[in-house]
Formats: sequence, C-alpha cells, structure tokens
Amino acid sequence: MFIWLGLLAVLAALAVIPGAIGNRFYAHVLVLVLLYASMAQSWNILGGYCGQVSFGHSVFFGIGAYGAGMAMVTYRGVPWPGIIAGALLAAAVSALISWPCFKLRGHYFAIATFAIVEIFGRLFLVWDWVGGALGLDYPILDDSWKYFLWSSDKTGYFTGAALLFAFVFGVVRFLEKRRFGYYARAVREGQETAESLGVDSMRVKLTAMAISAFLAALCGAFFAQYNYRVDPPMVLSLDMSMKFVLITILGGMGTFWGPLLGAAVLIPLQEYTRTYLSHFGAGVDQMIYGILIMFMMIRQPKGIMGFLAEFGLLGGKDGGDI
Amino acid sequence: MVSRSAKGKVLKALGIAALFAVILTCGASFAADKVIKIGTIFPLTGPVAVSGQNCLAAVQTAADIINGKYDWPDFPLAGKEGLLDGYKIEIVAADHQGKPDIAKSEAERLFNQEGVFAVIGCYNSSSSKPASAVAERLKKIFLCGASSSAELTERGFNYFFRTAATDGIESEEFADYIDYLNKNKDAGIKTIGFLYENSEFGKHAAEEGKKAVAEIGLEVVSDVPFTVGATNMNSEIQTLKAAAPDAVFGAALGGDYSLMVRTMKQSNWAPKIFINYCTGYQSPAINKELGSDGSFYMGGMGYSPEIAEVYMKGALPAQEIYRGKTGFPLDSDSSQEAVCLHVWAQAIETAGAVDTEKVAQLLRTETFPSPLSLSGEVAFSPGGQNNRAFTVITQLADGQYKTVFPLDYADSELVYPFPAGDKR
Repeated sequence: MFIWLGLLAVLAALAVIPGAIGNRFYAHVLVLVLLYASMAQSWNILGGYCGQVSFGHSVFFGIGAYGAGMAMVTYRGVPWPGIIAGALLAAAVSALISWPCFKLRGHYFAIATFAIVEIFGRLFLVWDWVGGALGLDYPILDDSWKYFLWSSDKTGYFTGAALLFAFVFGVVRFLEKRRFGYYARAVREGQETAESLGVDSMRVKLTAMAISAFLAALCGAFFAQYNYRVDPPMVLSLDMSMKFVLITILGGMGTFWGPLLGAAVLIPLQEYTRTYLSHFGAGVDQMIYGILIMFMMIRQPKGIMGFLAEFGLLGGKDGGDI
Repeated sequence: MVSRSAKGKVLKALGIAALFAVILTCGASFAADKVIKIGTIFPLTGPVAVSGQNCLAAVQTAADIINGKYDWPDFPLAGKEGLLDGYKIEIVAADHQGKPDIAKSEAERLFNQEGVFAVIGCYNSSSSKPASAVAERLKKIFLCGASSSAELTERGFNYFFRTAATDGIESEEFADYIDYLNKNKDAGIKTIGFLYENSEFGKHAAEEGKKAVAEIGLEVVSDVPFTVGATNMNSEIQTLKAAAPDAVFGAALGGDYSLMVRTMKQSNWAPKIFINYCTGYQSPAINKELGSDGSFYMGGMGYSPEIAEVYMKGALPAQEIYRGKTGFPLDSDSSQEAVCLHVWAQAIETAGAVDTEKVAQLLRTETFPSPLSLSGEVAFSPGGQNNRAFTVITQLADGQYKTVFPLDYADSELVYPFPAGDKR
C-alpha cells in the first residue's frame, strides 16, 4: 500500500512539474526518467520476466529511431507512420534473429545478442539509404504534436513520455497477470520443467521478444524526436544496450516497478553528476557514477526493490512479483 | 527486517549524499555581478578528450585575456579590462563525451538553466549539429571553432557562426597541391585512396575529397572507412596497401590517428604522399607521443607555432598563456575556439549592449580583426561560414610543422616521396 501511494504521489507530481518549470533542466531529467523507465520495462519483459538476458535491444531501439527519423528527414513527412512502421519492423526483425539465437541458453544467448548489435551498427554506418555515418538531422520546424517536436518548452515531450510510460507499463501489467505472464516466468524458472508441463517455450520466448522489441522501438522513436537527430553510434551501440540492462538490474529484474525505480535513481545520477562535475574534464562524473552503481549492486544485488524489501517497505514481500 | 544500526548507517549515507548535492548546487549557482556567461561544450572525456580539453583551455585563454589587461597593441580588447563597462566573461564548461544526444541536452541546459549568452563548441561535427539546432530554435548564438563538416554552414542557420575552414575548403587545397606537384615537380600522382573514420566528420571529409580530386583527374582506387575508437587497423591498412594508391587522404582524430600512423609503420608501406584533415595530425601532444614515426605526414593547418612565428606574431603572447594551462603551444583547432570567443567579444563591445540580436547582426555583417587567425581577420557569410578562413599545407619533420603550400607561405621543400617504414 505504501509503495502504491508513494508512486501515485510521484506520478501526480510529475504531471504538474513540467508546466511549472517550463524548459528547465529538471524537466529534461524527468523526460529522460520516463523514457529510460519505459526502455527498461520493455527489456524487462524478455530479460526479467522471461529470463532471457539480451544485450541486443539497442538494435530494436535503433530501428524505431530510424523509422521516425527517416519519416521526418528522408521523406520530409510527419513521424507517425515511421514510428508505427519502425515498431512493427523491429518486432519482425527481433523474431527473425531470435529464432536461431533462442536455441542458445544463458551466456551463449547473451553473447549472440552482443554480436547482433555490432552487425546492425556497422550495417547502418555504411547504408546510404538510412543516412550512413552522416546520420539524419531533423529540419527546424514549428513546435507541434503533428511533428512531435518542441523547442520552447518540455511540456509536449513530457506528456509524450508520460503516455509512452503509461502504455509500456500498462502492457506489462496486462501481460503479467495473463497466462502469457505465468508462462514467461515458468520458462525463466526452468525451461525443461515448463516444457514438461506443456508450455511451448520457444513460442513464449519469441512472443516476449517481439513485444519487447516493439515497445523498445517506440522508445527509440521518442529518443530520435527528442534529440532532433539519429546516427548509428547514438542508438545502435552496446552503450545503449547496456542502459536497458543496467537500469532494470539496478531497479530489480523481473519486478514491475523495478525499471521505474532504476531509471529514477540512475538517470538523475547520470545527468546531475555530469552537470556538476563534468567541467573538471577528467571524467570525475563518470567515475562517481560508476562507483555509486558498484556500491548499490554490491550492497543489494536484487536492486532497489531488494532494498525496499530489506527495509520492510513492500509489506513483507520480497519484491519479486511487485 | 534490518537492525537499527544498519538503518542508522543508511540514513547517515543519505545525509552525506544530500550534503554533497547541496554543496554542488550552491557551487554551481554562484554568480557575480556584471558577468556574461559563455557556455562551452567539448568532448572533455572519451576518445578525443585531449583535443576537447585543449579547446576548452583555448577558450579560457581568450577569456583571461579579455577579462585582464595586457599591453598587446595587436590584440583587440587585450588593453581593456573586461567588456563594455566592466563586464567579465565567465566560462561555463560542459562535456558531451563525443555523444550528440548529450551535446544537445547540454546546450539546452546551458541556455535555459545556466543562462549563458552564447555557446562555443562542440569540436565533433556530429555533436555540433544538434547542439547548434537548439541554439537556432532558441534564437541564441552558437559559435563553432573546429567542427569541419561543410554541411554545418549549409543549413541556412541565422545564429550559427564557424571560424575554421571546412573540409570542403581543405579538400580543394589538397587537390590544388597535388595538381601543382604533378605539373611542376613531375610527381606522377595518378591514384588516390581514402582512409577515414566512419563518422559525420570522416565521411563528409572523404566525400568532399572525392569531389575535389575528380576535378584534377585522380582515380580513386581505395575507399577505407574505419570505426571510431578502433583498437586495430591492420585490415584497413592492408586493404589500402593492396590497392597501393599514389596518394592517401586521411581523416582520423585523437588516438585513432596514433593507431593509424603506427599501423602504417608496421605494414612497411606508405603512399607517395599522405595528407590529413583535421586534428590527429595537428595535435602537438599526439605528435610528441608519436615522435619520429609521425614525420613526413602532411595536413592542412590554420595555425602552428612555426606559422605563428612568421605570420601571426600577435598570437604569440596568447600562446604563452595557453601553454601555461596545457604545457603545449596552440594548435589549429584550439586556436579556432579562442577565435570564436575573441570575435564574439569584439561584437558585443561594438554592440554596446548584452543583446543577442544586435550581436548576431554585427557578426553577420562586420569584419573583425583576429590575430589568432592566419588571414588576420574574420567575416561570416550567410549560413555562418568564416569567408576569410584558409589553411596551409604542412609536413611534419623532426617534430616541426614545415609549410609547403601555398607557395607564398612555404618555408620548406616537400620530402617526396614519403619514405616507407624500412627507409625512415
């Protein structure tokens, strides 16, 4: 009950803060928290609930970003058809490349997904149709929902991020209470056992991957619109893939609120350490950021949800199904 | 449940963290009267951190000169303390880590949160693009020193101003020089290869280079991009070696440039002439690290200590202040970032007010004296390109940049052809 009321208060605050602070840096941080929470939740479907640790989600994120970017830059239109097309394409690509990869288990599966990021990153760098290494730069357009672009204040982006967040978290909440959610967790806990009870593990994993990729691509589209640019190192990188994984693990893998908590801690930490410490020019911000992550993971490997359970803030539950 | 002492420890840790945050916030919000804040966004960490830090040091050098009082008659504003009626420049530095999305969000933060009057940056062309788009949308001034992608000044922006030469300008000069060597020195350069980082900068430089060499009839026999931050370039250099072009145009920054030079040496092969765009070649720190391995490479430069001794004497005192900060003399890129601040300061002094529109209008229309520029002055064309920018072609020999072209500036004969690894 405590956590629900707390989160409700946070969300209510989030709804009014951007209007109050206009285009301030805080609004930027809030938008990023919601975006990265959505990204982590999309990964959580596959990595947390289904137990398949993927380091390849930046590929689907990137496809979504390029869908929006190409609609805006290459075809000089509005981003919406590109966003939908990108998300559907990401789901299709994820199913296609996962088919052989899901024959691998554990670390081997994770290593295979690493390779996929490298392949797509290099492909997009030399593929002129998608802008190659030059990337895609958005034209200067009026602030509007039509183009999903704003520069004068963050209210539009904040609303968009909140809707994205609600959609992604809503999908996961819907799925986790359905048969698919139980099947996914059964596969995570023991694939052979689940199969012995009649669960088609390959089908469950592929479905989880496709839904996860679809949602990750929506986040990618938002990222491109937010940054007015997309190029391969920005989106199709291991660095970006690690963010999906790190935020979820920090918050609590396989938990519903873990991705939000992970993003709510990690993103402000990343942004404010950079803001206040980066001018020293010695990477002090990145060192402190890294040390704090190390400290948290050593202290509580189950992430922030584990901390909350440890302090009895989850009503006696261990955080696993919250 | 946890023990009371454990809870106490956690509360203590939270308290320390909160104190830390308050101290940082207070430090950042310090502001004095009569201060004009200028933001800088450079890659202070990451693969080209050394260049980014040098760029920041150069801007700080220019700010020190303008804020202080020096008896340097050839350096506008040096003789007066501060700007207008006593305004001091405060530099607010930010690090984009070589990432365009961070450059964009830092530009927003600097304008909206820190309230800077203008931003100088971002060294990497790919980061300058989204960061300057933020400024353009907010109708704020963005000054760009070293980013060389010609596209930056082809966007029709009204508040974007770049002081350095573009890779298009450099490409034409490189091609002119090869044409000169073929016609006057019987150099026999007929084929060319391109070795470039696969980024906004490298790709664009290679495209401009191909256009320029097509004009003089060179055949492109090898086109080799490499990944930024590469750990190994053997396959790229072997590809180049197999095609054996007479000339190579290179575009590599920071550590990539060092790796390229060392791998070339190991391959025991060199083209007849190797000319580089931009900074790896231009960095005194990198060339000191490379030692004699860096010799005989060539590149375009808008500044070098040797050139300054002859043609830019007004820059020499500023170079000493910069040397005090970095331990090295000014280089081609960092000097351009200092030019940005110096030109902007002259514009605001002429405007007589801290007014973005007035200053931007003066930047668009006036010509400014610039002792840190090879041409001695700066004037911007529509779109923001400095139409006075030009570079000379130099060749490194014994750690010194020898100017070989244009002939009016040449102080040395070209060592030609480039000796291969076993003959050096």
